[in-house]
Amino acid sequence: MDNLLAQLPALQVVVPFLTVPLVMLLKPRGFAWLAATATSVVCFAIAIAMTSAILQGAPLTYAMGGWPAPFGIALAVDAFSALLLLVITGASTLTLIGARASIDSQITDARQPLFYAAWLLALTGLSGIVVTADAFNIFVFMEISSLASYVLISGGPDRRALPSVFKYLVMGTIGATFYLIGVGLVYMMTGTLNLADMEARVHEVGDQSPILVAAGFITVGLALKAAVFPLHAWLPNAYTFAPHAVTAFLAACATKVALYVLIRFDFLVFQPNLVGHDTQFAYFLMPLAVLAIVVASAVALFERNLKRLLAYSSVAQIGYIMLGASLVNDAGLTASVVHIFNHALAKGALFLTVMALAMRFGDVSLDQLAGAARRAPWTMAAFVVAALSLIGVPGTAGFISKWYLVMAALDEGWLAIPLIATIAAGSLLAVAYVWRIIECTYFAPADGTEPTGHVPPLVTGVVLIAATANVYFGIFTALPTTLAAEAALALQEALP
Amino acid sequence: MPELFSPALILLAGALLGALLRGSLRTAVLFAAPAATLWAIWQVPDGVATTFTFLEYYQLEPVEGSPLRRLFATVFALMALGGVLYAFRQAKPYELCSALAYAAGAVGVCFAGDLITLFIYWELMALFSTVIVFCGGTPAARAAGIRYAILHLLGGVILKVGIEGIAVHTGSIDLQPMLAHNFDSWMVLIGILINVAAPPFSAWLADSYPESSPTGSVFLSAFTTKTAVLALMLLFPGEQVLIWVGIYMIMYGIIYALLENDARRILAYSVVNQVGFMVCAVGIGTELALNGAAAHAFAHIIYKALLFMSAGVVIYRTGKHLCTDLGGLFRTMPITTVCGIIGALAISSFPLTSGFTTKTLISEAAVSEGLVAVYLVLTAASAGVFLHAGIKFPWFVFFQKDSGLRPKDAPWNMALAMIVFAALCIIIGVFPQTFYEFLPYPLEAYEPYKAGKVLFYLQLLLFSGLAFFVMLPLMKRTLTISLDTDWLWRRLFARVYTYCQRLLETTRQTLMTRLKTWYAVMIRLAQRTYADASKEADVELMPRSQPIATTALWIALLLSGYVLAYYI
Amino acid sequence: MDHDKPHATQHAHDHWLVRPTTIRNIWIGSLILLALLVAAEWMVPIKARFSVDDWPAFGAVYGFLSCVAMVLFAKALGWLLKRPDDYYAQPRDKELDDDA
Repeated sequence: MDNLLAQLPALQVVVPFLTVPLVMLLKPRGFAWLAATATSVVCFAIAIAMTSAILQGAPLTYAMGGWPAPFGIALAVDAFSALLLLVITGASTLTLIGARASIDSQITDARQPLFYAAWLLALTGLSGIVVTADAFNIFVFMEISSLASYVLISGGPDRRALPSVFKYLVMGTIGATFYLIGVGLVYMMTGTLNLADMEARVHEVGDQSPILVAAGFITVGLALKAAVFPLHAWLPNAYTFAPHAVTAFLAACATKVALYVLIRFDFLVFQPNLVGHDTQFAYFLMPLAVLAIVVASAVALFERNLKRLLAYSSVAQIGYIMLGASLVNDAGLTASVVHIFNHALAKGALFLTVMALAMRFGDVSLDQLAGAARRAPWTMAAFVVAALSLIGVPGTAGFISKWYLVMAALDEGWLAIPLIATIAAGSLLAVAYVWRIIECTYFAPADGTEPTGHVPPLVTGVVLIAATANVYFGIFTALPTTLAAEAALALQEALP
Repeated sequence: MPELFSPALILLAGALLGALLRGSLRTAVLFAAPAATLWAIWQVPDGVATTFTFLEYYQLEPVEGSPLRRLFATVFALMALGGVLYAFRQAKPYELCSALAYAAGAVGVCFAGDLITLFIYWELMALFSTVIVFCGGTPAARAAGIRYAILHLLGGVILKVGIEGIAVHTGSIDLQPMLAHNFDSWMVLIGILINVAAPPFSAWLADSYPESSPTGSVFLSAFTTKTAVLALMLLFPGEQVLIWVGIYMIMYGIIYALLENDARRILAYSVVNQVGFMVCAVGIGTELALNGAAAHAFAHIIYKALLFMSAGVVIYRTGKHLCTDLGGLFRTMPITTVCGIIGALAISSFPLTSGFTTKTLISEAAVSEGLVAVYLVLTAASAGVFLHAGIKFPWFVFFQKDSGLRPKDAPWNMALAMIVFAALCIIIGVFPQTFYEFLPYPLEAYEPYKAGKVLFYLQLLLFSGLAFFVMLPLMKRTLTISLDTDWLWRRLFARVYTYCQRLLETTRQTLMTRLKTWYAVMIRLAQRTYADASKEADVELMPRSQPIATTALWIALLLSGYVLAYYI
Repeated sequence: MDHDKPHATQHAHDHWLVRPTTIRNIWIGSLILLALLVAAEWMVPIKARFSVDDWPAFGAVYGFLSCVAMVLFAKALGWLLKRPDDYYAQPRDKELDDDA
């Protein structure tokens, strides 16, 4: 058993990767979905196994091909990675289980094997980013996941997806390239690509200015991938026009992974070495985070398309995560990491609900969804619960993140008041746009036509599970908060 | 065993079951839940009964009992029961279930032993009271509901910030008396004051209560503000600023009620006025004053519900709610009129009603502390209450003139509820000593019915009645509303927002046209350089890639900013 | 046709409470009651709480005057604050409606 445990970090990436060609070959109807879902479940199980191991003991490491670090590529899974892995694999699994009917309706049978293969590639890439401890390896997996997600997003029937994917492609490539430039600069100065080794060697570098420039490139590049305001322009359209199942999966984890890399890289390599970097990190990212929260929520208020509304809401929530990280203290980092988990729960559930609604009503603009609550009561009830989690009502997961954020902000002296005001403003704006949706779906009179779609009970079940998870992790907070607290500690270990 | 669970959970279970069941089974649950809660309340022992760990290091105390808490919880449960009796045949099922959940939040706050539990139930109350406002059904109700939701959420956030501050800085989340001396305690105080409808946030009450359904306003009037009063009693007894907040609320309520035309809005302003008495008493802080606040809260919930019930019947039967449309209804609605009058007498602290035996405790407390100004204001206010609620409300609704309306009297369940509550008003007025047993502090040697006092109050009240009829020509009802502090955000902010929005829009448009012309120039340059057939595709692509261009611009700015900032 | 009838019978169809004779009687009765209340102070002494209220018939006078004051103040404030019923319901600008 121990032997298997030691192999798990590698298996997390290898299992979906090897299944990709297999899935591509499965032409018969439904087999591709089955294979993809089974793989996703296995990945989820691996993630759970690794998480429990980490909760009991030390982080897991693995040297690829037996080559020890820093010569070879090393994999390392600690609390932070474990949390992200749970989010990624969990989102993938739950979405795949419920998405079959939706994907059947949006993607032609002939293309489905390719679609599922791309999904598994994305899963590989995202898991790989989180699992690896090598900077260039991150880039490789980042590209794999990005390219796979471009394919996933453009796979749907909506032709508007194509220009959106093009923009995403251009911006994503710019981001990845910037990251690569940054890594290149650091490699040039330190001679290593292994993150831990980098951390040790950066101290010895004489001229710190290339490191500083590298930090700039990496931060901006990853910020672009993570849709940090104002580099978020690609996100709304990409999420809106993608197939609904894809939106549910990507909204839960794609940007979070980029944030993971940003935080990890910054705290591990730059914070301990560049003088005054923590202040700069804070003062650079805090205003962006604040703007993200306020502006994105305000824009969401005026959106008529449900998916684009939720996409802008995601940009605001990413702002919350950045806000927590920019506070550079224990509570702030814990808040940030916990919110990665909780937002994935909330947004994932919301987009799964949208998937179910799209199956029933066809269109997801607010005009079309008038009076939807009467016709899809359970789905809308799940939507309301997930939306309450987004707002941060006590009893839901969102409340926990907001609690930690406020606690972190209170430590900031005079800054506390504007920060808390921002968090409050974000919640209020969230109430307003959630209210618009609820008013439209619950109180507006529905037009006479009966919706034609049919929602299989499995989908409703998946949606309800997602919504219940929000309440469960709002009350029994042990798992995410322990992981987050450990992650925060580990991140701050390297700080002077 | 029963003391381990908060009685609030019984009401919540009732609300949930009520939502899922149908027909007579649902009705049975709706009545059984408050009744069972009433029983459970008296099983809760004094002191902390259970603890629960939250976020790994906070010890929550979901159930803590004391005489004061049990008193408030009792009247809340009574209110739930009476309200269900009043409304069960007329109200929509989800309004009734929301009302039970709302009451559950109130009872939960009563027994909360720590700040976090209090906050959780607080938010529960805000959520379900919003639903009740929405059940008014009209677009105005929905608009008022969203304003209500936002304001209460704001209050909740402020309260949460204060609670977190206290938790972080003192390490304790226990509910204990404190004074507002630092940021954290001020935030908690402000959060509670928003719920208690203190100025400048008092507008929400008069804005939202009249928009709800005739049955909804009965529930709304009972819980939010009184729970906030209990919170003040537990957390800020003797906080001096509350005396002045309370006095302002008292006067505000009277003046605005005098100007008002809508029957239920008169009562809503009256709620602010009465709660002001309680807030003032909490500010005085002596045992007598706190007894007065608790007693007054108990009596107030009952007679205010009675007044809203009578107003509700009128609206239900006539569909009209403006004083200008009403009048002369005593002819066909005797029960409602009599109950309304009893409620009006009670609110005015007329001898032999519950108001007389409870509100006078507060004046007495002011006297024993030597607060002359406060005492004089409270006395004038008692006269004023008779003026705006004791006489004005029944006069304009039931007498005044013949509006031509001849509606039927109340349906049997509404009439029964009103009679029960009216009886309670009289009983507490006539047999106060039994009631005094339940007050939190012992009440030694207080005689409510000393001859001199009775005479004083009769003089006070009846002469203010004289003033009313003398000044009647000056108090013609007009089809108007009175501006309140909410003008600031309903008008001013809205105008500023539209202005900013328009400004941004014009800026964006000019920028876009500039960029477009620039692109067109570039394209023409490119066309001249590369005589290529595929130019069509290029021309298509470039204007649409504005987001890419904008992002690229931002990237450049951020990157340079990042690096440059380091050198500053 | 009603205008020709004498005053008393014109109101015969009204409810007894609103007939002018009843109203006059209620006024007379009330004024007598009020006078009695003030007179009763000779028999039942009202204990003064402070020096300010140590006047005979303080309750009566204070009650009456403070109410008059309140009504007048309310009237004055009303000139400032009263607006038509539909003040907030006025049609908002077109742009806002399009956005929402």
